[in-house]
Amino acid sequence: MKEENKLLMPSLILCAAIVAFPTAFLLYVSLHRWVLFSREVNFVWLGNFYSIITSSDFLESLRVTAIFIFSSTLLTLLFGLALALILNEKLRGRGLFRVIFTLPAIIPPVVAGFAWKFLLNREVGVIGGFILPALGFEKSIHGDPLLALISVIIADVWCRMPLTFIILMAGLQAIPDVLYEAAKIDGANYWKMLQNVTLPLLKPAIIIALIIRFIDAFNLFETIFVMTRGGPGTATETLPLLGWKIGFQYFNLGQAASLAVIMLLITVIISQVLIRRMR
Amino acid sequence: MGASKSTRHHYSRLILYAILGVYLVFVLFPITWLVLSSLKTHYQTLIIPPQLVFQPTMEAYEKIFTGGMLKAFANSLKIAGIDIVLALFFGIPAAYSLARFKSKLNENIGFWFLSIRMAPAFGVIVPIYIVIRSLKLLDSIFAVNLAHLLINLPFAIWLLKGYFEEMPIAIEESALIDGATRLQVLLRIVLPPSMPMVISVAILTFMFSWNEFLFVFVLTSSEGATVPVLVASLAGTMTFDWPLMCAVSIGAMVPAFIFVLIVQRFIVRGLTLGAIK
Repeated sequence: MKEENKLLMPSLILCAAIVAFPTAFLLYVSLHRWVLFSREVNFVWLGNFYSIITSSDFLESLRVTAIFIFSSTLLTLLFGLALALILNEKLRGRGLFRVIFTLPAIIPPVVAGFAWKFLLNREVGVIGGFILPALGFEKSIHGDPLLALISVIIADVWCRMPLTFIILMAGLQAIPDVLYEAAKIDGANYWKMLQNVTLPLLKPAIIIALIIRFIDAFNLFETIFVMTRGGPGTATETLPLLGWKIGFQYFNLGQAASLAVIMLLITVIISQVLIRRMR
Repeated sequence: MGASKSTRHHYSRLILYAILGVYLVFVLFPITWLVLSSLKTHYQTLIIPPQLVFQPTMEAYEKIFTGGMLKAFANSLKIAGIDIVLALFFGIPAAYSLARFKSKLNENIGFWFLSIRMAPAFGVIVPIYIVIRSLKLLDSIFAVNLAHLLINLPFAIWLLKGYFEEMPIAIEESALIDGATRLQVLLRIVLPPSMPMVISVAILTFMFSWNEFLFVFVLTSSEGATVPVLVASLAGTMTFDWPLMCAVSIGAMVPAFIFVLIVQRFIVRGLTLGAIK
């Protein structure tokens, strides 16, 4: 045992330190009035948390975030499920479809955001500047609060559907064929099998997909930042963008840290609730 | 009866292909449009209705070379390369020890490692920014490397730990009885068959570093900027050079595409945080 420790403890300690330090320091900062360029750092207990939670910016951002997460998670889950079910059938070319549908996952989110910003641009974009106006729709997408929010949801669905698709695909492949054969002998049609065999057995995979996708959408920053910077106004300012603004534009690091802690708590609580449902 | 059933089957197949086709267009259209626009001149991108047939030009790509933008690509490569080495050097022994020496503490460390991936990036960057700033290391590659390692190392450990745990332990034990040290066991017995996983961890590390935006954006201003920051800063200026932005975007996509073609199934494991094996 001693000899094992000699090899393994150094790297383990280093790793623990490198992970523990930011978490601990984040908590420490969140409990202080910590503004960059100001020398004074005062312990304020939960003061930062209080000012964040009671600010109208936070409540507005929470509303936008909730709409964004709900729509984006729901859409990626539905598309992922539908496409995984279709590509679980014996169709010609399904290998190629699978590869292509997962492609956006490896594109840098910044590039995905830029691509959609470009496509939807009112002046030069092929969709926002040509197709939509030709159909009689003249508004600027990024100038309208609701349309801007819809546009970042579309970009996020485009970018992140592969995540749910991959998880559900793997879940489907894990269901043994014997069950389908037995159902067929009992005279079940496709929809009956879907309802009574596939979906119940897929439930754990669906919940894993939901958790991973929720965390992913909750923390999404780049795509929205590149597309709208949270605008117009605060129409697309989700919590990560608000946190960035507080921390690195207003330089109020204490409040940014406390917002991050709040978000981490929300993440942990919601994923715990979802994990419970899996059993 | 048989005939009508097969025509119905035929129709349902058609519907499935139609759905697949629509989504295929949705996925491929933005990428295709970026490629097309990167081959246009600035003036050609401004024309509405957009031209589908035009004389392609490599002007935008040449601008990457002449406009001093190669530095961002070089930075991206350097940061990702150094991060791979560090993540593997520290990650392999740590993952092995977590996999072999079980204790209550180890279990918790494993979960803790993963929890940093659940925290919002702007929160993780706050403590790092304070430290890097007080060390006067802002706008350096070192700063970015440290920040990326913070995400990559726990992730590498998590994936490798899962892999090591599935390996048969008998050979290792007999080697230990024969007098081999743990380090020898790790290097000679455990690592060689683990190479596919090690390579996939290296690629995932690369992809995270290559794609990551916020840390670099906060920690650097010009010297240490990487490709995603370059894309964002080009997209944020008022003088839109559309072909150039498209060309840089294509350049940003290429490495990941190459990797995925090589090791598709390993990427799947990484994208889902090891939830799917």
